[in-house]
Amino acid sequence: MSDPTTSSIDTDGRRNLVRLLRAAYPHPRFPDGPYERTADAILNQAGDSLWHRLVLTEGLATLDARAASGSGQGRFADLDDEAALDLLRGIEDAEFFVFIRSVAVVTLYDDAEVHQLLGYGGPSFEQGGYLHRGFDDLDWLPNPRIEEYDGPDQLVEVAPDDEPATAPTQA
Amino acid sequence: MGTENVDPNQRSDADSLRSQQDHYGASIDHDEEVVVIVGSGAGGGTLAYELTAKGVPCVVLEAGPYLMPEDYENDEWASFKQMAWLDARTASGPYRVARDFPNLPAWVVKAVGGSTTHWSGATPRFRAHEFKTRTYYGDIEGANTLDWPITLEELAPYYDRAEKAIGSTHRHGRPPLPANNNYKVFANGAEKVGYEFYATGPYGTNAEPYDGRPASIQDGFNFQGDKSTAKWSTAVREIPRAIKTGKCDLRPNSQAVQVTHDASGRANAVLYVDKDGNLHRQAARVVCVAGNSIESPRLLLMSASALHPDGLANSSGQVGRNYMRHLTGSVYARFEEPVHMYRGETMAGIIADEARQDTSRGFVGGYYMETLSLGPAFLAAFADPGEWGPGFTEVMDAYQNTAGMWIVGEDLPQETNRVTLNASVKDQWGLPAADVWYQDHPNDVAMRTHGYSRADLLYEAVGAVGVHHTPPYPATHNLGTCRLGARPEDGVADTWGQAHDVPGLFISDGSQMTSGAAANPTLTIVALAIRQAEYIADQLAKGAG
Repeated sequence: MSDPTTSSIDTDGRRNLVRLLRAAYPHPRFPDGPYERTADAILNQAGDSLWHRLVLTEGLATLDARAASGSGQGRFADLDDEAALDLLRGIEDAEFFVFIRSVAVVTLYDDAEVHQLLGYGGPSFEQGGYLHRGFDDLDWLPNPRIEEYDGPDQLVEVAPDDEPATAPTQA
Repeated sequence: MGTENVDPNQRSDADSLRSQQDHYGASIDHDEEVVVIVGSGAGGGTLAYELTAKGVPCVVLEAGPYLMPEDYENDEWASFKQMAWLDARTASGPYRVARDFPNLPAWVVKAVGGSTTHWSGATPRFRAHEFKTRTYYGDIEGANTLDWPITLEELAPYYDRAEKAIGSTHRHGRPPLPANNNYKVFANGAEKVGYEFYATGPYGTNAEPYDGRPASIQDGFNFQGDKSTAKWSTAVREIPRAIKTGKCDLRPNSQAVQVTHDASGRANAVLYVDKDGNLHRQAARVVCVAGNSIESPRLLLMSASALHPDGLANSSGQVGRNYMRHLTGSVYARFEEPVHMYRGETMAGIIADEARQDTSRGFVGGYYMETLSLGPAFLAAFADPGEWGPGFTEVMDAYQNTAGMWIVGEDLPQETNRVTLNASVKDQWGLPAADVWYQDHPNDVAMRTHGYSRADLLYEAVGAVGVHHTPPYPATHNLGTCRLGARPEDGVADTWGQAHDVPGLFISDGSQMTSGAAANPTLTIVALAIRQAEYIADQLAKGAG
């Protein structure tokens, strides 16, 4: 059992947190690494605040009890994806879950491995930008015009019906 | 930017960066009465260069550090912590930002160069009727429309000069930027739905070398400062040139906290705190306030005196009111094929077809559509703040195949949308933080709904398999809180930006905007600053300053 007086969360608590993150932010193609790093960032940040440490320790420790009361299954970590998601929807406004999400959303997607998995190239200046690395490599649409329109039509800045009753001299 | 995570103490910190001097350029005595400019962004930086180039000595007080291009980071959160304005502020009112980001009403920059450091670069001009909203939009319930004491015709020559200073593409012989991937989707969709007035600009980043700076390398990090300097900002153009004149004394890490006046009511000094919290006084002949639309009214409200009990230059009661943040909303569309929207210039794609006055659409005013890309880190924070679960991860999982656009349009000025001093929240110096209270006008909601639906049609026309609407996030365009008005009863400042109530005090940033128009504001702020600098130099030469 985790003990808030020691500012450490035990392995059961951390396992529940990793499982919670996967249920709240489900990406089937992500391995465990990004979720585990995010869990560690959450635990680390909770250490900076007594309030967060209190709610997080208690929240993670009682997930199993909630899982048992809901489904009869013993542990949160054993719930399937749908059951875990249902459980989380039921505690959406709980302070510890709000805290978890506030850290997770800025940590999980600020991860080099996740960037690679999502197809994001990340820092580019040192490599000369994307000028010669595919900034215009999209080939499933035709190349569009880049110049401004120079055809016969004029953009009507004010529709005729919207001219003021007493039109100013300079329209 | 989870609300829990915005903590100024987490800054990667300016103090640790190289080359932090107390000041740059000329050493101007604190007792010498000079032009004192508060802020070094689009307004303040431009004024500093235009005035010192004419031989007028200026002290520039900049709250943030002097970051160099090599300091800028190709990393969204690291850059945010490096340059965003994270001092204590509050957001309140019914708008969603107050719930999602209660301590971050605006995403603006605290550094030399101000928000030109992270601006996108889009440079459309305001249209003629947008300077005359009272005339064209009429008396709209709940709105506080007013015609500017300036017309497009008067500002046009200064727009020319501003476009040349910035090096806007598609203007004055500057070539267009090429199409990046995000633009290819955007422009093909535009063509399919019948839009005509689209292009990769005008845009304030070099397509070819210009003005001593290189061409874009399409690195995709212009919101994080542009390390290559292909993008115009006052940090890479106006400020270094002002320093070279020998007439400019730039003091970074100097937060203006009060503007004082003499017995006759004329502005005569600015008090500021340095990075160690020491208070200084710089004597002034003229004071130009250009701290962006939250800090500028805050400074005037903190400058209340026995002569100005409701805040300096506030006999109209309009200081802090009519806060505008532009309509804003983003649309991200998912496709079956890769897009890689993050590669290349972030906002080099503009559609102007909806930027017009046509009330048959159900609202007054208009909006632009502009390409937009965020990295996964920011997309996760902004796409639908607070959201989680499979609906959220579906958006993130599609990142590689996603195209994005921003809808930027005119929101109406409302007296109750305002910046005030929050007596219960203090900044790091113990001074009252700014509170920003905001509520959408029904016209804003109607326009945003229209914009979302047009964006959906555009993307569906080129095969989108899903679209996501992102709500307005912390404002990058902050306008109108010290507005111009022909009559002292209606506005804070006159046609030159000089306060009606306080001789020698000028409003020099986006807070002077009487209405916000559909266009991104930076070009107009620069044009107004060039015009104002001419007036100030002229008045000083006549001895009237």
